[in-house]
Amino acid sequence: MKHLPKHLQPRWRYLAVKLEAWPDARFDRGDFQRELWYAAQNLYGDAGSAAADLTVLSFSFADGEGETVVRAYRGEEGRARAALACVTEVNGDPVGVRVAGISGTVRACEERYLGRGAGTLEERDVVFEDESRPAVVRRLGTDVRGSGGFVGATQLDFE
Amino acid sequence: MYEAVHAHPDGDSTVARFATTADRYGYDGVVVRADDARPDYETLRAELSCDVVDAAEIVADGPNQASGAVGNYRPDRTLLLVRGGTNALNRFAVEQARVDVLTRPFAGEGDFNHVLAKAATRNGVRVEFDFGPVLRATGGHRVRHVDDLRKLKRILDHYDTPYVVSANARSHLELRAPRELVAVGEELGLGGEWVRDGLDEWGRLADENRRRRSESFIAPGVERGTYEEDD
Repeated sequence: MKHLPKHLQPRWRYLAVKLEAWPDARFDRGDFQRELWYAAQNLYGDAGSAAADLTVLSFSFADGEGETVVRAYRGEEGRARAALACVTEVNGDPVGVRVAGISGTVRACEERYLGRGAGTLEERDVVFEDESRPAVVRRLGTDVRGSGGFVGATQLDFE
Repeated sequence: MYEAVHAHPDGDSTVARFATTADRYGYDGVVVRADDARPDYETLRAELSCDVVDAAEIVADGPNQASGAVGNYRPDRTLLLVRGGTNALNRFAVEQARVDVLTRPFAGEGDFNHVLAKAATRNGVRVEFDFGPVLRATGGHRVRHVDDLRKLKRILDHYDTPYVVSANARSHLELRAPRELVAVGEELGLGGEWVRDGLDEWGRLADENRRRRSESFIAPGVERGTYEEDD
């Protein structure tokens, strides 16, 4: 179909979103999109969701760290932010979500706020609470594997 | 802006991990609601760029048990929190001037009314707005909680009762940045500025209690200053 004349085209804002999860979390763009739409629907209903859009564009996630760009209509950034804050689990894996910034174009959004990669990831044993345990060491912190799941720690906890 | 968190072993992340995450999210500090947690506050404050406030959250079955715990913890913690959840506990917390914050007044069977609001104002007890269920629960439970929060705001506004806001995070993944909480507050009809003020209140409370616990403080309005020595 022929595209709309410029003055009728929708105005978008792009939210740069940082994701964090335990190292064994596995989900993709589709899973995150579904959870985000659920969160929006639960928070402000179908009409509000349609008014905010909230399409997940580029998405990358691996080893418990990732980033994505979420599109929202201009003027609805606050609502988009609220829906993102209510995303707490994707595929049953708890996630930490943070809006790093908002831009008017995808390119500016990625250049300004994203792409400062996850860095290296290392698996080794650490001594936590007088016990040697396997852990995943990342730039953001160290996740120690315990009997009942992971424990979030930092280098400071092993000194 | 401060956020109050449940650190390991009460939650799933250590104080250091909470503090580094909170720092990245734009908070000035974290309040550790310690029940079983015993972190080394001195080292943490020295090593981290984010403030760490030592607090105790008292989880009791009834006022008698809570009363003993208040007496035990008050002398050595900066902040003292009492978890509500029953009408008796909510009432106990707001009537004790030694208590700083009443947390989760609506958990379980608890409720809040104008009598408690007046008592809280009189005794300077902050009432907590628990954003946990708003962020993490769904369905009827969440709807009722949002309804409770709106009612609480209406009551507190009328009696000018102090309050704090928290997401009640149990791991660093449950932490949300201040602007996100403000956006959620806006969506709930509580108002963004209001939420921001509730997050700031933790910091003001910590500063005030630290000043009171410092050696130069004698009584409200009376402090030891620097004077010339008499011969």
